[in-house]
Amino acid sequence: MANLRIEHLNKRYGAATVLNDVSLSIEAGEFVVLVGPSGCGKSTLLRMIAGLDGASSGDIHIAGRLVNTLAPAERGIAMVFQSYALYPHMDVRKNMTFGLKFTGVPPAERKRRVAEAARMLRLEELLERYPRDLSGGQRQRVAIGRAIVREPAVFLFDEPLSNLDAALRVSTRVEIARLHRMLKATIVYVTHDQVEAMTLADRIVVMNKGRLEQVGKPLDLYYAPANLFVAGFIGSPAMNFFEAKVESVEGGRARVTGAGLRNLDLPATSLKVGDALTVGVRPEHLAQGTSGPFVAEGVVELVERLGESSFAHVRRVDDRLFVAEVRGRETPTPGERMTLIAATQDVHVFDASGLRVS
Amino acid sequence: MTVEQRAKSLGVHLVLIAYSALAVGPLLLVVMNSFKARNAIFGAPLAPPDASTFSLVGYEKVFRASNILTYFSNSLIVTLVSMALVLLFGAMAAWALTEYRFRGSTALALFLSIGIMVPIRLGSVAILNMMRSAGLNDTLTALILIYVAQGLPMAIFILSEFMQQIPTDLRDAARCDGVPETRIFLEVVAPLLRPAIATVAVFTIVPIWNDLWFPLILTSSDSTHTVTLGVQQFLGQYITDWNSVLAALSMAILPVVVIYVILSRQLIAGLTSGAVK
Amino acid sequence: MPEPVSQIVAQMPRRKRAGLLLLFLGPAVAIYSLFSIYPLIATMALSTYTSDPSGARHFVGLANFETLLGNSLWSKPFWNALGNNLIFFTVHMCVQNPIGIALAGLLSLPGLKLKGLYRTVMFLPTMLSVVIVGFSWNLILSPLWGVAAGALKAVGLGSLFAPWLGLESSALVTLSLISVWQFVGIPMMLIYAALLNIPEELIDAARVDGLGHFRIFFHIKLPLVLPTIGLVSVLTFVANFNAFDLIYSIKGALAGPNFATDILGTFFYRTFFGNQLQLGNPTMGAAVATVMFFIILAGVCLYLFLVQRRIRRYAL
Repeated sequence: MANLRIEHLNKRYGAATVLNDVSLSIEAGEFVVLVGPSGCGKSTLLRMIAGLDGASSGDIHIAGRLVNTLAPAERGIAMVFQSYALYPHMDVRKNMTFGLKFTGVPPAERKRRVAEAARMLRLEELLERYPRDLSGGQRQRVAIGRAIVREPAVFLFDEPLSNLDAALRVSTRVEIARLHRMLKATIVYVTHDQVEAMTLADRIVVMNKGRLEQVGKPLDLYYAPANLFVAGFIGSPAMNFFEAKVESVEGGRARVTGAGLRNLDLPATSLKVGDALTVGVRPEHLAQGTSGPFVAEGVVELVERLGESSFAHVRRVDDRLFVAEVRGRETPTPGERMTLIAATQDVHVFDASGLRVS
Repeated sequence: MTVEQRAKSLGVHLVLIAYSALAVGPLLLVVMNSFKARNAIFGAPLAPPDASTFSLVGYEKVFRASNILTYFSNSLIVTLVSMALVLLFGAMAAWALTEYRFRGSTALALFLSIGIMVPIRLGSVAILNMMRSAGLNDTLTALILIYVAQGLPMAIFILSEFMQQIPTDLRDAARCDGVPETRIFLEVVAPLLRPAIATVAVFTIVPIWNDLWFPLILTSSDSTHTVTLGVQQFLGQYITDWNSVLAALSMAILPVVVIYVILSRQLIAGLTSGAVK
Repeated sequence: MPEPVSQIVAQMPRRKRAGLLLLFLGPAVAIYSLFSIYPLIATMALSTYTSDPSGARHFVGLANFETLLGNSLWSKPFWNALGNNLIFFTVHMCVQNPIGIALAGLLSLPGLKLKGLYRTVMFLPTMLSVVIVGFSWNLILSPLWGVAAGALKAVGLGSLFAPWLGLESSALVTLSLISVWQFVGIPMMLIYAALLNIPEELIDAARVDGLGHFRIFFHIKLPLVLPTIGLVSVLTFVANFNAFDLIYSIKGALAGPNFATDILGTFFYRTFFGNQLQLGNPTMGAAVATVMFFIILAGVCLYLFLVQRRIRRYAL
């Protein structure tokens, strides 16, 4: 029984379509991350689940109830905002209990929930303080606490880590993952950072221009991206792309040529001569070598040394760059010619429309 | 939720429309009736003037019996000159306060801010004595001096806020080139103050144009009266002559309304931006 | 965050800096001190003198104030005027400011259409001269013209009509309401600006917390604009104690009927200039002005004291 079910959701602002036929099903206790570039519609989708904005058409079910016409407070959701949105004129305790008062939760119960959430988030010392006296990380914990005390069916997080500095972001990320395990909560989490998505999610929903590009487990998206967009979005540094064409097909194998590709030999399956393809390989799957089903070559332009792994930016024949990961102390020098190989299963092929070719 | 929102919108608009009608209604009534013949004013006050009831007799009287044009020109002179001086001296003072900080600058800022809170009218006794002894009694100059003194504190305050946003680099670059301070002020800083001028204008022009007290106290002869005083005295004199009275009021209302409607966006932006501090 | 003081300026030779200060500050400070501050001080000094029929002035210390507050010839009208001022102020605080707050609340609702038009129209009366406003309302409320009477009759409340401006019992309140009608625009705009400063996310959080629009206004929006409301209150206070133009244009210097609309401003004017009932008395006028100054000062100090403590609390 899905905890959150979205069916054919559409949202239009005048002539612009912001969400296009979005359907999604989320199980109880799942941590789902909506990720995508800005303007892809992920925040809009979140706000519609929350009930802060109305949909143009489509249905939303939370915990089995149709919630289309219900106000946010009646939907069984709680939201953590990007800028925490704490009431500045109330102390931490009041911030957390304020909403409960208006939804008819008796005082004893309110006290219990606040104490529980404060313990979970290590806020006991801060209950009498005001938001202006708290650090960014502390404010974020209070915002999460405010959501926890509502005991909602679904937690909604709207880019909660964007306003934190890098170090705090990592520790808060761990905190959120810990809370998920403790509360066994259903979480819908919006971010533009694919690292956050990969580390936190049970399933990732990649969105682009109001559509769902792919929904799946993080590693599924990493190893088997369904289209060019997902392939280029997931993984850091991004996947390398080579434009290519099928030269010949014989004996169940296709020969593909493209700029920078010395050799590419793929299982033919559905490929035909003349097909235009985009071939993708991740930097970390390229190794130094001279022969194999996939061989790429070029001249090293720049090497970024990060310690155990370095990234060589290689300029190929058509003047575009691709990136290869090199491990160890021996790194190539700029100006040097490099040949790189990859295994067949690490080569992703996409057809002219950007879809994966199996 | 959407149905709820829509209903709320309707209720909200009703209230706003009702209040807007209350705000504008009386003025419309006055202006409308100023163009009607006397019996039409009393017979059907709420009806707009039509071919049979249209009449300009009130306006003719106003022009004949009073120096309305002199009053307008006086008001215009006083308001514009005061505004210009307030802007000039105010900008200079704001510049000095923000740029050339010195030990007494906070004290001076405090000193100037007294003028914002305390009404200048209370010193009228002394002001009148001063003007009399300086021979400036019954002149527009006296009015201008008072209004400039009145408008300076607020102008300095608003302009200081704006000036603090100008990047130091901009000012220093000119200095490195050896440009003298006065020219930096006139050619680098002053042009950047354009947005602030609308805000200062709101706070300066309106109180000066509409002021009754100082023209009443400082100007005795008809030729130095401002519009506000002139209209007030005309009204007092011709109080039973409804046509003239309505015409005089309309003549006082219309210029302000026209200018207001033209400049309303800047005026309101000015109020909502700087005033809140 | 204001830009730091230029380093070049900081290193200027003192004489040069002094010269610049004189040039730039001079005119403003001169005019302001001469025509704003000095007259106030001179007036306060004058209030300690009295003048005899020959025009000569004698120092009498606080005698004028004793007369003003003790001698019933002076104190009766003084306390009457002060009391009227308080009624005037109360009407403004109880009618003008709540209406202004409510209108600002409505105008700040997100997605409201025609916002600009409403704002422009509702702010229009504030732009007009008090003379125009006073006189127009005088005409409208006049029983001779019958517009107000007719309007009331049209909604079935015809019996309520009375020549309010002419009756001792209702004249002051009516005048106050006319003033309110004119100046609602100011609290409306100031509070509207303050409401706009409240981040949208805060309202969203309140909606998720379960508050309806009404509760959001009272528990979230209103507390956060309290500093602005304080500012509006003190501005109202100063303006009310300074009021004169409206009373003068509708009722003249005598502020009838029977001094029912007399406030400190008209009292001051009469005392200072005289009228058909009394000779002008500059020294007593100065005393009245001094008293007015201290009343206003007291109000402003109270505001500064209260607000200084609270304004930190609502830092967003």
